[in-house]
Amino acid sequence: MSVSDDGGSSPLSQLSSHVFGDLLDSIIVDVASECHRIARLGLDRNLEEEEEELRLSAQARVADPSSSGHGNGKNLVDIFGQTHPAIASEIFDCMNCGRPIVAGRFAPHLEKCMGKGRKARPKTTRSTTMARSRNSRGSPISVYAPYSSSGGASRVANVTRGADFELKDYAFEEP
Amino acid sequence: MKAFPSLDPIDGQDSPMTFPPVPSAAPYGGRRAAAATIRLPPPCSHLASYHSTDGSRSLRSLHRCLSVRPLGRAEVRRDPGEVPHCAACPSANGPRLYACLACAAVHCPAHAVAHADAGHEIAVDVDRAELFCCACGDQIYDLDFDAAVVLAQAAAAPLPERPRPPEAEEGFRKRRRMESRPWNPDPVERTVIWRGSSPLYVQDENFSHTADPRLPLGLRGLNNLGNTCFLNSVLQALLHIPLPRNFFLSDRHSRFICEHRSRRKKDINAGEQQTATLCLSCDLDAMYSALFSGDRKPYSPAKFLYSWWQHASHFASYEQQDAHDFFITMLDGIHEKEHQQFEPHNESNIIGTGDCCIVHKVFSGTLRSDVTCTICGYTSTTYDPCVDISLDLNHNNDYKKCARTSSHICNGESDGTSTLLGCLDRFTRSERLGSDQKLFCQNCQVKQESLKQMSIRNLPLVACFHIKRFEHSPQRNMSKKIDRYVQFPFYLDMVPFLSSSILRSRFGNRICGIDDRDSDVDMELASEFEIFAVITHSGNLDSGHYTTYLRQNNQWYKCDDSWITRVSENTVRASQAYMLFYVQKVLHCNASEIVAAS
Repeated sequence: MSVSDDGGSSPLSQLSSHVFGDLLDSIIVDVASECHRIARLGLDRNLEEEEEELRLSAQARVADPSSSGHGNGKNLVDIFGQTHPAIASEIFDCMNCGRPIVAGRFAPHLEKCMGKGRKARPKTTRSTTMARSRNSRGSPISVYAPYSSSGGASRVANVTRGADFELKDYAFEEP
Repeated sequence: MKAFPSLDPIDGQDSPMTFPPVPSAAPYGGRRAAAATIRLPPPCSHLASYHSTDGSRSLRSLHRCLSVRPLGRAEVRRDPGEVPHCAACPSANGPRLYACLACAAVHCPAHAVAHADAGHEIAVDVDRAELFCCACGDQIYDLDFDAAVVLAQAAAAPLPERPRPPEAEEGFRKRRRMESRPWNPDPVERTVIWRGSSPLYVQDENFSHTADPRLPLGLRGLNNLGNTCFLNSVLQALLHIPLPRNFFLSDRHSRFICEHRSRRKKDINAGEQQTATLCLSCDLDAMYSALFSGDRKPYSPAKFLYSWWQHASHFASYEQQDAHDFFITMLDGIHEKEHQQFEPHNESNIIGTGDCCIVHKVFSGTLRSDVTCTICGYTSTTYDPCVDISLDLNHNNDYKKCARTSSHICNGESDGTSTLLGCLDRFTRSERLGSDQKLFCQNCQVKQESLKQMSIRNLPLVACFHIKRFEHSPQRNMSKKIDRYVQFPFYLDMVPFLSSSILRSRFGNRICGIDDRDSDVDMELASEFEIFAVITHSGNLDSGHYTTYLRQNNQWYKCDDSWITRVSENTVRASQAYMLFYVQKVLHCNASEIVAAS
């Protein structure tokens, strides 16, 4: 049925408007009838609770605009009265190589220590490789080459980053 | 229109559907109905008097006068090509036409009221199979009539294959609801307890912080070991859930026993040196001992990280991981070790059902997926276990659906706040699969366009919802984070999303049940949940930070790596939720009582 452009007064336009109106009315009554049944049979009993929750959340957002998560107010003490440094300072032994490690730097250490693979290398090879790479900073990639086979491009990207951190660590840099 | 053949015997099948199905996003019905049980209002005087004159029998026999479309919509049967119209004003068809139950005369609403003399008050909407009282001028509801509709629907539906819901599977125990009873040990039991347990707190001057009895047991910060806030946030949420906490504190997985077992295995498989100490449950056991030792200094979950990296080696890198990914692999790691303790031949029956390990006992639920052929209505059903529900954030917003259109709260949310209920609504909504995704229909024996609908068959004890905020678009090779606020309630009733409710609303929310294994009301008793923990993510995709809000003893705590601080309820409500943990109310009210230090 093509749309006529006669301004809507022709019998065809009127008829099509009429049909459309009927269809629309029918759909509206469908929804009204379903909702009427739900309301009358008590199936929407939770509505008040849901609206209350919405209201409380809206209220909370007004009352607490800082909770976007950015810039958490620096707390002076926690609930136990303690303060904590930006980098966790606890020291414990690495369970892979046995060396004492600062907690806040444990993950980057472990990443290199474990060789980033499922199989941990035997200790002797590990320290030899470490010694080698420490002396030849220009080619840290060679250390990781055998382990990048299981990944794709993303693996290589990680390797680069890992190498950066390795360099940083050995440079005794303090952020 | 023929007079209602209420006293004629049934002759053959209903005539096949004559009009093409009305294309719609949802099959018949689909309005979200929240409550579990139906409350039938008392009949109006006209319906009551209709009943008193043997109306029940004639109402029930009306199923012969109904025809049902493939997707379940019932209407009054009519001859092929017959178009119902009002007897008094034949030219107008109108959206609503009512057929008098007494004389089968069809009228528009206005003339139906005029027609309503004694005995002719009750009519039926010819297109919707709903009773109408012309005298009261309102739609009315009746058990016998609904029974007739359900009967007609059952007769018209193509027989689906009957999948065995999880309970039918061997080894799956239906969770019975038991009343919680307080228990006080008698003197003999008291001695046994005293001998067999070790105190949680060491009275030591070093641990003076523990003097405050209001601080929850076991609450300690977790040190960030280098971009490990994703790990800390998930641990804080999980460690304090009563079930796993009690499991580990009662020595159900002791790292001393487990290591011995693994060590024996080590002797058999010489060279498997690393795997002997790989057990996430043992690490958790050690963590619980540390958390409840009384020491309030932050704990470093180093061993746990080490074990996890061995278990999920593709995550073993010093970069920020996704907390939800970690959550899944952690559950998997615990399950792997736990269920090895069972005999191998039991495995296939119980994996995922909740009996295999502590994590599944806590998190495992069952999802039901229905695929319906749009042409014949044949529905194929499958059940799948799940440990959490991941919810999409639509590009448009998920408006919370309101039955009451006049509610100003709904209209007030015209800025379109996304809500958890809205996301769940969308998750359980009937979805029309595209014409390029036609599925094979057993009944039609060809590929047809289908509708798919998810619902929850079994609720877990702890429900974890994951808001998918991280969008990865492979086409543009870019990922981004959706920062949109998602409103979430503190009390959550999951009834509208249960299979029983979804099914009922699919067939028009009739008063009497439809015949389906998932219609049992039992499931609906344990559907009330309370918020327990919220994991939030702040910042962007590359440099973000996870924190956890934890509810203990009706007080909210913020767990930000090493820092544990108190926060108000408002802060939690207003936070940007990434993962939400809800605990079944029946569990939580006992667990959150303050344990008196004695």
